Amino acid sequence: MIPIYFAGIDLGSTMTKVVIVDESEKLLAYVVQHTGAEHRRLANKVMEESLRQAVITIDEITYVIATGYGRINVPFADKQITELTCHARGVAHFFPNVRLAIDIGGQDAKGMKVKNGKLIDFVMSDKCAAGTGRYLEVVAHTLGLTLEDLGPISLKSTRKVSISSICTIFAQQEVSNHLSAGVLLEDVVAGLHDAIAGRVARMVRRLKIEPDVVFTGGVAKNIGVIKALEENLGCPVLVPSEPLLSGALGAALIARETILKAQAEGKSVQTTRRKLGEATFFKQDDGILSGN
Amino acid sequence: MVIATKKGLARVQELYQDRPQRVKELKAEGKKIIGYLCIYPVTEMMTALDIVPYRVLGDMRESITKADAYLPPVVCPFLRSCLDQGLKGKYDFLDGMVTSHICDVGSSLSGIWHYTVKTPFHYNIDTPHTVHETALNQTKGVMKAFQKALEDFAGKKITNAKLKKAIILHNEQRALVREAYELKKQDPPLISGAETLKTIKVIQSIPVAEGNALLRDIISEVKTRKNKPAKKNARLLVWGSILDDTPLIEMIESLDANVVMDDTCVGSRPFFDDVKITPDPIDGLAQHYLVDIKCPRTFRARDFYAAKKNYMEDLKTRFSYLSDYAREWKANGVILQSVRYCDTHGYEVPQVRDYLREIDLPGIYLEHDYTVGALAPLKTRVQGFLEIIG
Repeated sequence: MIPIYFAGIDLGSTMTKVVIVDESEKLLAYVVQHTGAEHRRLANKVMEESLRQAVITIDEITYVIATGYGRINVPFADKQITELTCHARGVAHFFPNVRLAIDIGGQDAKGMKVKNGKLIDFVMSDKCAAGTGRYLEVVAHTLGLTLEDLGPISLKSTRKVSISSICTIFAQQEVSNHLSAGVLLEDVVAGLHDAIAGRVARMVRRLKIEPDVVFTGGVAKNIGVIKALEENLGCPVLVPSEPLLSGALGAALIARETILKAQAEGKSVQTTRRKLGEATFFKQDDGILSGN
Repeated sequence: MVIATKKGLARVQELYQDRPQRVKELKAEGKKIIGYLCIYPVTEMMTALDIVPYRVLGDMRESITKADAYLPPVVCPFLRSCLDQGLKGKYDFLDGMVTSHICDVGSSLSGIWHYTVKTPFHYNIDTPHTVHETALNQTKGVMKAFQKALEDFAGKKITNAKLKKAIILHNEQRALVREAYELKKQDPPLISGAETLKTIKVIQSIPVAEGNALLRDIISEVKTRKNKPAKKNARLLVWGSILDDTPLIEMIESLDANVVMDDTCVGSRPFFDDVKITPDPIDGLAQHYLVDIKCPRTFRARDFYAAKKNYMEDLKTRFSYLSDYAREWKANGVILQSVRYCDTHGYEVPQVRDYLREIDLPGIYLEHDYTVGALAPLKTRVQGFLEIIG
C-alpha cells in the first residue's frame, strides 16, 4: 500500500508552524518560523522545508488544512479551519483528558472548552494585543532582556509587584515607575506574568475551569507565566513539550480524519492541485490554484 | 415628477448607495421630509400629513470627526455617527427631526442635535421603558402631544380617518416585509441576509407607498431569479443592536452560513407586529410602539407587580419569539451581536444567552465597533462557532 501523508499549517500572527503526519498519526516533520509580512511566500517556504524533513514531495501529501490568523493565505491548502478547532484537536492528541485548553499566542489569547477531543465552546481576547506574547516582547525589550530570559528571572522573585495595567503601553510606564522606585527586576517580571495570567484566568472562567487544563502557544514556553497561571486558576497546568505546535498538529490530524472518514464512506474529497511555485499575492493566485 | 428606471433589487442597490436620492427629489417637488431616530417615533402620523418619514442612520464607512466634541468616544458609536453625519450637513435636507427616549445617549443626542444641527422642526417623544398600564397611558399622552406638535408644524389637522388610512398603509408594509421574510424560510433562502438589510434600509428612506411597491417587485423578482443565495450548512438568526450596513452580515455569509432571520431594527423588528385598528387610533399605536415592538429598550416583564419572580418564566415571556423564529426559519444557531457601548443590548445579552441555553439553541456573542474594518478576529469567532455547530 502506498503511504499517505497529511499536513497542517498554522499561519499565526507571529509564528508559522507546519506539521506533517502519516496515516498512523506519526509525526514526520515539523517546522516553526517567524511569520513576517509576506504570508504567502512564507507558507510555501515553510512547507518546502517540512517536506525536506519528512523526505517526501508535495504530491505525496493527500490533504492540507490551513489554520491560524493567515489561514486564507495558504495557496496550497485544501481547506481552512479555525485555530480554535485545530488547537482543541491538537491538544487532545497530547492530553486526551483535556477539558480546558488555553492558548496565548503573539496577538491574542484563547480559551477552549474541550469534550472528547472536540471543541464545544470558546472565548477569545479582544482585538488588542494586551496581555499576549507581543506584550511580553515589548516589555522585555524595554528591560533589555530577551523573551527567553523572562521566565527564569521571574522565578527568583520573592515579592512580586502588582502591575495593574494589561495595556502594553501603560504597563511599560508602570514597569519604568517600579524600576525607578528601586524594585528588583525579578519582582517586576513576576508581576508582569501575574498580570497576563490574571487576565486570561478571568477570561476562561466563563468556560468553567476543569482539569485537565492545558496551556499552549508561544507564551507557554515561559515558565513564569505557567506558574502564575497555576496560581490564578488554582489547579495544575499541563504544557506539551512543543507548545507552539498544537494548532498545526490539530490541522494535520483533522486532515487525516477527513480523508480516512471519506475513504471509509467511499466518498471522494475535493483537493487542490498543489504546486509550490513562486507565491503570488491576493487575488492573482488563480494560476497557482488551478496549476496553469 | 421623476420616475425611477430601476426596479426591485436593482433599485434597492441604487438607493442603498445614494439613500437620500428619492427624498431629495420629493423635497424639490415641495414635499416635507422628517427624519426619525430609531423605530419609536410614530411615523404613521407623518404619513397621515403627507410628510415623508426618513430614518436617520449613521455611516460606518466614514470616521467620526465632528461628533467627538459633543459625545464622548465611550458611548454608542452608532449614535455618535448619526450626530457626526448631522454635523457634517448630510441631513440638511430634513424639515424636521423626531427622536424618542430610546436610551440615555439617544436622549442626549436629541438635545445636542437640536442645538447644533438645528433642523427646523425638532421633537423628542418621551416614550416610557416599561409596559404596565400607567406606562401605556403615559405613552398615549406623549403620542397625543406629538400629534399636536406635528399638526402645528404642518398647519393641518390629522383626522382619525386620515390616521387610520396611514396605519393601514404602514400595516400593508409590515405585511409585505413579513411576506418577503417568508421566502427566507426556504433552503437556500430566496433573499440573503445582506439583501434583506439593504431592502429594509431603503424602504425606511422612501415614502411608505413607494416602499410597498418596491417590496412587491422584490417578492416577485426573487421567486424567479437565477442567482439566488447558495445553499449553506448553517442557517443563522442574528439578534441584537442596530446594524445599518452590511459588512458584518456579508462576513457571516462569506462563510458556510446564511442569515435567514434577524431580530434587529434595520430588519424584522419594526415590521413583525401590526398596529391594531382601534376606535381611537392612539390606543392601537401606543400598544404597538410601547408593548409589541421587541427592543431591549423596553422592559417587558411577565408580571410587573408580582412579588415573587420566576427567572425562567420571565425569560420565556420576553424571548419566546426567538424560539419561534428559530423553529419557523429552521435556524440552527444564533449570532448575538451588539455595537460596542450599547448598554441597552449589552445588559440583555446574559439573559438572552440563558434563554438560548434553556431551549438548547447554540449562540455566540460578538461585540463590534461600528466600522467596516477589523472583521478578521470576528470572522475567526463566527467560523469557530460554525465548526462547533457543525
